[in-house]
Amino acid sequence: MRRSEALELLAEHKGDGVSVATMRAIPDWYDLGGAPDLNLDNRGCMGAASALGLGIALAQPERKVYVIDGDGSLLMQLGSLASIAGSGAANFYHFVVVNGVYETSGFQPTPASDRLDFAAMALGAGYEAAYEIEDLGVLRERLPAILNERGPVMIALKVELETSRKEVPQDRPTDPAGYLRARLVGD
Amino acid sequence: MTTRNAVVESVPADVLHKAITDLGVSHILIVPDTHQKSLLASLNNETSLPMLTFSTEDEAICVNAGLWIGGGEPLLIIQNVGLFAAMNALRGVAMDMNVPTCMLVGQYGRDVTQPVEDAHQGSAIRLIEPVLATMDVPFYRIDRPEDVPNLRTAFDQSRRERRPTVVLVGAPTS
Repeated sequence: MRRSEALELLAEHKGDGVSVATMRAIPDWYDLGGAPDLNLDNRGCMGAASALGLGIALAQPERKVYVIDGDGSLLMQLGSLASIAGSGAANFYHFVVVNGVYETSGFQPTPASDRLDFAAMALGAGYEAAYEIEDLGVLRERLPAILNERGPVMIALKVELETSRKEVPQDRPTDPAGYLRARLVGD
Repeated sequence: MTTRNAVVESVPADVLHKAITDLGVSHILIVPDTHQKSLLASLNNETSLPMLTFSTEDEAICVNAGLWIGGGEPLLIIQNVGLFAAMNALRGVAMDMNVPTCMLVGQYGRDVTQPVEDAHQGSAIRLIEPVLATMDVPFYRIDRPEDVPNLRTAFDQSRRERRPTVVLVGAPTS
């Protein structure tokens, strides 16, 4: 399964949910129509995506929040798993793109990349449910039901390692936080 | 509680509690701070104000951003050493994304009989103000009860200018 194929399925289900995308998932997410509407990019603080999404989820409990995280990114703020679980945010869906490397900085392996089990960590932290999916057909079949489950839910997406590099689009909102707040609360 | 020869005075928890309530904040985000433990205990009894505890200060700064984006008006309560730990979130989220981020920061480890710049103070005490100045983060002190209105000043500035502001609490709250 390629990252773009998995994200294409998620984009089809986004609806009026809010997304938070980080690092190398950002170009694909824009290409697939998941952004810029109702989206926040996180490029300036690796590891922050899940905590940013948690804040939005707590402030907007009626709206689903989809965090598109990376394995290297999540490892930088792993304590967020406990905070997310402890919050009981029922509208929080945590997608972790697992390719086993720090892609942005040159494909260095993440620690313990051959044995880390993010779904098990999420369950251990107290998420309502967690899944590891590496087959596109399985994801296509199960995603609608998963997105109707009570959160917080993690979906660890095991994807192929890809070396081609898309550029981050230049036409992103210049004030992403202000833009999204205006869309959500009309400030 | 005021220590003999102190250059800063303790602020009663109920005074700070009321000042926080008067701000109209939506959430209190904390990483536990020994220096402000009486304030945290007081706020913990405030059923109308959600208080959320985080593992790290950078995480709390990011959740603050998400809450604000979603329409909330949170306040952070952390300690000085945690602020040092959170410099990347302070820079990459609060500053670069222009997010109102008001932080009440306990000066944990401060010798209350000496000014902050005294050579005998620990590095966290001596360096926090120069670091904040370097980061271009406005900061205020609450060194005695009459300084409590500085919290309102800092909170309003964070909203008006969409930036982080810090209030340094000099003596342990009582």
